[in-house]
Amino acid sequence: MSNLKGKVAFVGIGEVPTGRHADKAAIYHAIKSAKMAIRDAGINKDEIDYVLPTASLYSPAFNTEMVTCRVVEELGLKNCKKNVQIFSGGSSSSNALLIASTLINQGMARYVLFVHTDRLGTGVNLQQGIDLFSTAGISAEWEVPFGQHYSSIAALATTRYQYETGCTDEEMSAVCVSNRKWAELNPNAFFRKPLTIEEVMSSKMLSTPLRAKQSNMLFDGGAAFVLTSAERARDVADRPVYLLGEGGVVTHFVYSQEKDITRYGWAEAGKTAFEQAGLTPKDIDVAEIYDSYPVYQIIGLEELGFCERGEAGKLFLNGDTWPGGKLPCTTNGGMLSQGHTGAGGAVALMVEAVRQLMGKAGERQVKDARFAVETATGGTYMDSQVTILGTEIP
Amino acid sequence: MTQRPKPVPVVNPWARPFWDAAMEDRLTFQKCKDCGANIFYPRIACTECFSDNLDWVNASGKGTIYSYTVVENNSPTAFLGDCPYVVAIVRLDEGPQMLTNIINCDPYSIQCDMPVKVVFEQLNEEFKLPKFQPI
Repeated sequence: MSNLKGKVAFVGIGEVPTGRHADKAAIYHAIKSAKMAIRDAGINKDEIDYVLPTASLYSPAFNTEMVTCRVVEELGLKNCKKNVQIFSGGSSSSNALLIASTLINQGMARYVLFVHTDRLGTGVNLQQGIDLFSTAGISAEWEVPFGQHYSSIAALATTRYQYETGCTDEEMSAVCVSNRKWAELNPNAFFRKPLTIEEVMSSKMLSTPLRAKQSNMLFDGGAAFVLTSAERARDVADRPVYLLGEGGVVTHFVYSQEKDITRYGWAEAGKTAFEQAGLTPKDIDVAEIYDSYPVYQIIGLEELGFCERGEAGKLFLNGDTWPGGKLPCTTNGGMLSQGHTGAGGAVALMVEAVRQLMGKAGERQVKDARFAVETATGGTYMDSQVTILGTEIP
Repeated sequence: MTQRPKPVPVVNPWARPFWDAAMEDRLTFQKCKDCGANIFYPRIACTECFSDNLDWVNASGKGTIYSYTVVENNSPTAFLGDCPYVVAIVRLDEGPQMLTNIINCDPYSIQCDMPVKVVFEQLNEEFKLPKFQPI
């Protein structure tokens, strides 16, 4: 990886508002986002030579269209050499970034377009969504027969984490409040009304101790980004955002086989990424930590070394992670407030990290943001992927 | 809402001995004859030394609750009528971990690290599921 540090950069990002868009087809969100990202990059669309769509979960038939080059044709890309789907669930954006960066650094690709779209808000109903996520990535032999699903998975992690650390329900709920404060400032977020700890703690119990407002909800949405070499980026972009470091650890497939559901692989993935970047958590201006449920955001911050184990909940409670705080965290509102769009949850976080570093985050802009860390994980938190980005190459 | 039939285990052929033993109220796991590793869920080859030389052994049926949750709402459709039910990860005394349900107790009396023992519950004519209850 040392040879990738500072060699590849984001030059454009695009995103449509997360929501329920019954009147729009999934391809609409892909094309809207991709066009925005290409415009943002300031390049001609025909300079895109690689397209990496990730998967849409709501419809296998539509996903096949993403596999079979629909984005290329809809955009009218005249010089596209490859269209290859890259999919690892929630960590798809991290893995696509690494693969695209390698291709660019090898001189194989010039401008790579990554795009995501899904319609989990209107393409499936709530119970279909629960049923989809009680089978997708959950072992049909060893877990499905016991009623396992994503809420129970998050609840298992929360129970054990609270048991080992003493983290309180109030601290856990503070994650939702912190994310909402950012979402209030994010026009692309679905949930934008202020939220209190009392509202979170009095919401419907799903799987103890996890409550409804501690659970993400599924929506329609789309996002895209354009990558190129650092050299070309300096020609086309005002403020290119460089890939500085990257680390990943795969820990399990069947959730109950995970040896430590309160840690996963974040510490090792983070150490690798920070060492490659030549940075430490103290250098980070924005931490875009994968949420989906509060416990994962807490674990992520701690395992990356932003605070001691058992202490992250306090950062969410005392305002350190809020707008204006000293550790801005998950500044788009995360899946808990912007909304969960399948593989797009961490696409949104990656786009947000780039947006903050480009200085395009509007009301929620973190002043003088130079370095950001972004995390992503797929399946049942099967892998821990850490990306470090910056506007300078340290 | 009408209750859907419960999902049955989608059995991988090499795991068939596990399910056959469960029908006889025996909890089993694989043991590597070459390196001695205790393996669950059933694998094609040893996850430690890659040996194909795997044996089936009976577990003590005892373990502790690594973590648990009481599912109260928004479960998969087939389980809506079971709420509240307990999903747990149990660590067997021999080492392997498995997902299960904790039954025959007040769900709200359960705690992490509580000792439990296996009890088999009939799912249908073909399957018994290994569940656990507090000791």
